[in-house]
Amino acid sequence: MSSGSSLLKARQRSGNIAAASFLAPAIIILIIYIAYPIVSSFATSTLQWSGISSDKTFIGLDNWAKLLKDGSFWSAFRNNLVIMFLSLLFQVPFAMALATFLDIVGKKGVFFKIMWFLPYLISPVAIGILFKYVLDANYGLFATFSKMLGGGSVDLLGNPELALYAVIGVISWQYIPFYMIYYLAAYGNISTDLYEAASIDGATRWKYFWSIALPGLKPTIISGATLSIIGSLKYFDLIFVMTGGGPGVSTELMSTYMYKTAFTSFNMGYGSAVACGMFLLITIIALLTIQGLNRLGREK
Amino acid sequence: MSKFKKMAALFLAAVMLTCSLAACGNSTSTGSTSAGTNASAGGGEKTLEFWHIQTTEPWPTIIQASADRFMAANPDVKVNITVMANDAFKQKLSVAMSSGQMPDIFLSWGGGPMNEYVDAGNLTDLTGYMEQDNYKDKFLDAAIAQASYNGKIYGFPTENVSTCTVFYNKEIFEQYGFTEPKTLSDLEAICDALLEDGIKPFSLANKTQWTGSMYFMNFATRQGGTAPFADALSGKGSFENEVFEYAGTKIQEWVDKGYFNDGFNGADEDSGQSRQLLYTGDAAMTIMGSWFVSTVRGENPDFYEKVGAFNFPEVEGGSGNPKTIIGTIGDNIYHIASTSAYPDEAFEMLTYLLDDQAVSDRIDGGKIPPLKGMELSDPILQKIFDDVESAPDVQLWYDQSLPPEVSEVHKSTSQEIFGKTMTPAQANEKLQQAMDEYLTKKGG
Repeated sequence: MSSGSSLLKARQRSGNIAAASFLAPAIIILIIYIAYPIVSSFATSTLQWSGISSDKTFIGLDNWAKLLKDGSFWSAFRNNLVIMFLSLLFQVPFAMALATFLDIVGKKGVFFKIMWFLPYLISPVAIGILFKYVLDANYGLFATFSKMLGGGSVDLLGNPELALYAVIGVISWQYIPFYMIYYLAAYGNISTDLYEAASIDGATRWKYFWSIALPGLKPTIISGATLSIIGSLKYFDLIFVMTGGGPGVSTELMSTYMYKTAFTSFNMGYGSAVACGMFLLITIIALLTIQGLNRLGREK
Repeated sequence: MSKFKKMAALFLAAVMLTCSLAACGNSTSTGSTSAGTNASAGGGEKTLEFWHIQTTEPWPTIIQASADRFMAANPDVKVNITVMANDAFKQKLSVAMSSGQMPDIFLSWGGGPMNEYVDAGNLTDLTGYMEQDNYKDKFLDAAIAQASYNGKIYGFPTENVSTCTVFYNKEIFEQYGFTEPKTLSDLEAICDALLEDGIKPFSLANKTQWTGSMYFMNFATRQGGTAPFADALSGKGSFENEVFEYAGTKIQEWVDKGYFNDGFNGADEDSGQSRQLLYTGDAAMTIMGSWFVSTVRGENPDFYEKVGAFNFPEVEGGSGNPKTIIGTIGDNIYHIASTSAYPDEAFEMLTYLLDDQAVSDRIDGGKIPPLKGMELSDPILQKIFDDVESAPDVQLWYDQSLPPEVSEVHKSTSQEIFGKTMTPAQANEKLQQAMDEYLTKKGG
C-alpha cells in the first residue's frame, strides 16, 4: 500500500474513533433512559402484574386485545385529538401574530418579549394550582366579573362540557410563548433585504407578510406543528393537576388513563400496554404528519 | 469574551452546579427521593425510613418528637422521616412498591388497598407484636378490626378517629333559629329556608371525588344499614340495589334543588375551595371527616369558634341505625414493610407514636387517638368519641374499603351522579361491573 492511502485510512479511523467517543455518552444515556424503558414496557405489557407484588404471569397479547376494545382508552384518545386540533387552530396563529409583532417592533419590544415568555418558564404544576383558584366557580376571575355584571357564578372546571376547553385555554397560555420564540427565531433568518426590496416595489406590510414572510417561515411552521401534535397526544401535566381527568371522564387523556390504570388501580401490566399503545399511536401519527406536511410544503 | 462576560458566565455556572448538588443531597423535607435504604449507614448504625402525610403543624412536630424519644432510648437506631402530601404519598408509595424499595414504616387507611398490600406480600404481620403483653387491648376494638385482614393484624392504628359528620356554622343557625335536625325532613327544611335567603346549604369540593362520596355513603347507610355494602363487597349482594339507587336519586334531587354551591365538581378539596365558602358565610354546612375540626383550627381560628357538629340524621322509612358511624377508626394506619431489615425496632418506633406524651400532644392538637377511654378537651371531639364508643357498627369509607380499581370507578361514577351525566341506575351498574371484574380476577 502506498503511504498516501494508509494515512487517509488512519485519519479516517481516528476520525471514527473521535466520533464514537463523543457520541458514546449521549448514546449510553439514550439507551439507558429511553431505549431500555421502552423495550421493558413492551415486555411488561405482556404480563398480568399488579405492580406492587412479585406475582407476574405471562399472558401474551391479552392486554393488547383488551386495549383495542377499551372504550375508555379510545374516548381518552378523542380528548387528546380535541386538544391537538384546538392547539393547532389557536396556538399557531396567535404565536405567529405575537412573533410578527415582535419582529416588526424589533429591539423596542424586549419588554413584551420577556413578559410574554414568562408563562412558559413556570412549572406546569404551579400554573395548574394557581389557575384552579383563578377559575374558581365562586371567587375566580370569571365568577367575579359575572357577579359584578349582575350574573351568577361561572363553573368552568366542574362542567363536563366546558372543562376540557378551559384547560386548553390554560395550556395555550403556557405554550404560545414557546412557539412565539420559535417563529421569532425563524424571522431572524429572513434577510432584511427582502423586506426592503419588497417595500421599494410598493408592497404593504400585510402583503409582505402573506406573500414573502409566511412562505419563508413554512418549514418552521411545519416543525412547530409537529411538536404541537406530539405534545398534545402526550399531554399530562395541567389536566392532571386541574381536573384529574374529571368531572367523570370528560377530560380524561390517554396519559391520565395510563397513570390511573398502572399506579392507582394497581394494574401495571395493562397500564404498560396503554403506555405502549400510546407510543405506537403517537409515532404513527407523528410520521404521517411529518410526511403529509412535507408533501404540502413541497407542492407549493 | 469580555472580562465581565467571562466572570458572569463562571459565576452562573457555579450557581447552577451548587443548586443541582444541593437538590441531590437534600433529604429532609417534602418529596425528596429517599427510597427505603435498609442498609446501615456505616458503623453499625441502623436506619429506619419513615414516611407520613401529616403535613400541617403541629403534627409533623408531634411525630418527630415521638421519633426523637425513640432514638434517645435506642441510640443505635436512626429514624429518617419524610413528610409529604396525601396524593403525592399515594403516588410515591406505588412506585416504591413496584420497585421493591419500600420505606420501613409507611401508612395506609386500611380496607381494600391494605388488603392488596397483604396479598402482594408487602406487609409484615404484626399480630405477634400486638399480642405481646396484650398491647392490642389499648386500642379500640374497631380500630384493631380495621387494621386486620384474614384474622391477622397488619397495621398500627394511629392518627385519628375520624367520622363523617355534618359541620355547620353556629352563627347562621342561631340567626335563623335552627336546631340540630333529627330527621332528614328536618334537615331539608333547614336547607330550603337557607336557600330562600341566598345561602347555600352545603359546601362541596368534588373535583377530589371522595368528598361527594360522603353524601352517597350517608344516604345509603341511613336507608339500608351497613349490610348492603358489605354484601356487595363480598359478592353476596350487588351495587344494583335499591339502597344505592336511593342514595343516587337523593343526591340528584339535592343538586336540582340547588343545595350545593355552584361549580362543585370543579372545586378542589385539598386547595380548600369548599372551606372558603364556609369562611365567607356563603355556605352554612358541609359533610366532612372530623379532621375538619383540626384543619379549621389551624387555618382559621376565628371560624373555628363558630363550628358546630351533628351526625347525619335519620332517614324516615330507612332501616339504617342513625347511630351507625361512617368513618375510620385509625385513619392513618402504620405498617412495617416486609422488606424491612429491622422490624423489631420499627415496631418499637410505632409504640412511641402513641406513648403517653404523644397521646397528650395529639389530644391537645385536636385529634382523637384510637385508644380506649380517651378524654378530650374539645367538646365536639368528645362527642364524636362517645358516639364512636357507643356505635352499633362502623362503616369504613367506601373509597377505602373497596379494592383500588373498584374504588376508582366508585369515585368517578359518584362524581357523574353529582354532575348528572349518569343516572343512579347507570352508575350502580358500572360499579357492579367493576366489582364483578374484580371478583372474577380474584378467582371466583
